[in-house]
Amino acid sequence: MHPMTSRERTDAILAGKPVDRIPHFPFILGFCARNLGYPIATIYSDAEKSFAAQKMTFEQYGVDWGPLYGYASYGTWEFGGQIDMPTGAYQQAPAHKCFPVKAEEDIDRLILPDVRTAGCLPIAMAFSRLQERHETPISVVMGGNFTIAGNICAVERLCRWMIKKPELAHRILRLATDHILDIVTHWVETFGAERVIPQFWEPLASNLIISPRQFRHFVLPYLVETGERIQELGVRHVLHHICGDQNANLPMWAEVPMGDPGLCSFGEEIDIDRAIAVLGAQAVIIGNLDPSLLLTGEPAEILERCRQTIEKGKRAPRGFMFSVGCELAPETPGYHLFLVQKALERFGTLGEP
Amino acid sequence: MDADRRAAFLKQLHDAVVDMDEEKTPRLCREALEAGIDAYTAIMQGLAAGMDTVGRLYEQKEYFVPELLLCSDAMYAGLEVLRPQVKVGEHEAAGKIIMGVVEGDIHDIGKTLVKTMFEAAGWEIFDLGKDVKLERFAQTLRETGADVVALSALMTTSMMAMPKAIAMLKAVDPKVIVLVGGAPLNAEIARQYGADGYAPDAIAAVETAGRLFTKAA
Amino acid sequence: MHLPQDRMTSQERMAALFAGRRPDRVPLGAMSTGFNTRNAGHTVAEAYEDPEKSFADMQWTTEQYGWDPIPQYAGHTVLGAWDFGGQVRMPRGEYEGALVVTDYPVKTEADIERLRLPDPRTAGRIPLALRFARLQAEQGLPVYFFSRSPFTMAANIAGIDRFLRWTMKRPELCEQLLALSIDHIFNVLGLWVDTFGAERVFAWMSSPTESNQLVSPRIVKKFALPYHLAYHRRLADLGVRRFGFHICGEQNLNLPLLAEACPWSHPSVLSFGHEVDLETAAAHFPKDILFGNIEPAVIQTGTPEAVYALCRAAIEKGKNAPGGFILGPGCGLPVGAPPVNVYAMTRAVHDFGWYAA
Repeated sequence: MHPMTSRERTDAILAGKPVDRIPHFPFILGFCARNLGYPIATIYSDAEKSFAAQKMTFEQYGVDWGPLYGYASYGTWEFGGQIDMPTGAYQQAPAHKCFPVKAEEDIDRLILPDVRTAGCLPIAMAFSRLQERHETPISVVMGGNFTIAGNICAVERLCRWMIKKPELAHRILRLATDHILDIVTHWVETFGAERVIPQFWEPLASNLIISPRQFRHFVLPYLVETGERIQELGVRHVLHHICGDQNANLPMWAEVPMGDPGLCSFGEEIDIDRAIAVLGAQAVIIGNLDPSLLLTGEPAEILERCRQTIEKGKRAPRGFMFSVGCELAPETPGYHLFLVQKALERFGTLGEP
Repeated sequence: MDADRRAAFLKQLHDAVVDMDEEKTPRLCREALEAGIDAYTAIMQGLAAGMDTVGRLYEQKEYFVPELLLCSDAMYAGLEVLRPQVKVGEHEAAGKIIMGVVEGDIHDIGKTLVKTMFEAAGWEIFDLGKDVKLERFAQTLRETGADVVALSALMTTSMMAMPKAIAMLKAVDPKVIVLVGGAPLNAEIARQYGADGYAPDAIAAVETAGRLFTKAA
Repeated sequence: MHLPQDRMTSQERMAALFAGRRPDRVPLGAMSTGFNTRNAGHTVAEAYEDPEKSFADMQWTTEQYGWDPIPQYAGHTVLGAWDFGGQVRMPRGEYEGALVVTDYPVKTEADIERLRLPDPRTAGRIPLALRFARLQAEQGLPVYFFSRSPFTMAANIAGIDRFLRWTMKRPELCEQLLALSIDHIFNVLGLWVDTFGAERVFAWMSSPTESNQLVSPRIVKKFALPYHLAYHRRLADLGVRRFGFHICGEQNLNLPLLAEACPWSHPSVLSFGHEVDLETAAAHFPKDILFGNIEPAVIQTGTPEAVYALCRAAIEKGKNAPGGFILGPGCGLPVGAPPVNVYAMTRAVHDFGWYAA
């Protein structure tokens, strides 16, 4: 029996049909640059090279879905701040250099960015055109509403305002939400609603930063609104990366509309069994091997932990995709990523589709 | 001295170098000086002309590295006699060149031969040797204001130091001419690395440096 | 990785090759050390210093890239400068990928008189190489014994420039060093045969100092060739049948000499750099297995497409060589090669390397 192609596997997962083996969903960016001998910044600054580097690396390591463009500090640049591209030996992704909102009065000056020209969006659009041409999912990556808000005014300030001046926090969250809807609308108009799968990475909403009560008041309403509006645009699936420790938020995530099926990827802090119990009925579960294990672990342990993750994930009723819990470190030894491929071939097969 | 005798002396010097004769070459140099031949002329038209021929023989695959080494020994033995007699300030060097094998690489035989050919062509040379830290190239460039820097590497690993070295040199002096050479390199890699020129062997290195230097001047 | 269409195991593939039969596909090999350890999260120095790590990393990288175990190279078993009392240090820093000689044991004629044959149980990295060899034996792999050619080793004892000057001026000193070199090789090879049995030992030699970038065929004929002949007489006496020869660098002018003498048993594995055309090699050595010859600098600095294209061309030229063909880099696999370029070689074998069933 011929194995399914990556595309067949992705289509089957989204259609709720069986797959031949558990797919490997990518969270692999800087590593691809290293794999081709490029500077890491290439992944974020050059759509063509970034796409090609990811495509070749995914072929080499049997990674499915398709190349992605995005980074966690999204929002700073687009709203008029500055970011630094990763250049040093130990940097892995773009980082904030200067936030657009440093004081209360800066909020008055904020305007909604033009999604055709602001920040990294032209590069993201060029990247999505490559996704279209190569027939991989067109997944524009943004921060979640709360994460974009944190990237506009710095997360410490957002936290202070949530307590002392909640109206300021809400103003920024409002702008972030409107911006997200502008982007999704632009992508839908360009590529058609049925091709677009928006992704939201929400690291700042983790319970290391905010409480579940704050999540209910400052995060959930915006997520729900965004989810509803995106569905009204005709988008079928939304992917949320529920980054970091969000165990206490988890039941609230189940209230977020994310399509049929939705897609939820988890950090290693969340047990896959629990993720399935809470979100498995509505979403494909994606996760969640600890990337630091892949960076420094011993091969036998890596293989075993992959096996455990895969075995758990197989029980997800709407399907499961294997992934690392957060971005794979660029310095990860190639052999360790090969072990993931080996584990998926050895433990992830599901018989003939 | 008549022109014929002078020409015969210079021809003998040339031949002694080509014949790899480390004893005869300095002896002939002393005799040339005693006969009233100008030291600079003896270097350029005797010893250096000899090394030119040696270079041609290498290109024709008549001579290989052992022969080149012995010819260069002969030339240096002659230079030791003649150089102190060259009148200071009378003849300008063809140009100033810094050379060395990059950090992490101890294979210096190619660089030694390159040095010989530049010596013969009348360049002022700052030879940093082998396994040279990249910062030392830049530092020497700051100190000497050299026209050309020649970097050598024999290993695919050590050649990876070259782009960084070139960037450092260009930061010191954007006009400096950087040449690279060594077995794993080629013109395409040299271009990728941002070098101004590449030479496959010692003879070509002198020609390339001369050409780029004249063009820049 | 096991290529999906493989019809043979690596072991079967190698057996077919040496029996003069067509394997299922062109085998793929790499002389690789630091690339392996880095690929598995270790340092380049560990490839040379830690046989257990080096061995594990090699098996893992071999599996990952679908290499066949030919040759399994973890540094030279015997060395010139180090074994005879010179100073060597491990690679360090960003730009080093191999051992670095810091002091040669022979600087003057008088030093030669003081040279003694090294003790195979203690000299240089021989004890480490022995540990590595034991791991190969335990896993049922060929036990590789790596040396340089006597000429290359002799030059490594005295330093290349001194040795090359002596070929012209003091040939008798060269002969002394050459005799010591070959005796040292066989001293240690004897230990390998005693320990593992001649059947298991795969002797591998490289001859970079014989390249025509350095010496003329006349020098090779006078100083190198007699020792190749002696080497193979002694190898046959020991009963070692498997031999591989990395004819390193530009050796086109030496090929007729080597082809005429052809002192090794057939088939041996002859490894060539990109400087030697595979069709030329096949014409000179029809009874031997060709191995090569992808330019390492392209693997290091080129695009995956460029590596893939070179591999395709090499496979098309080499595939039907009368004695057989193995695809591989034309010299050691560069430590810092972008992994995708190494994968491009695997991919090329996968796409173009198949023989009809």
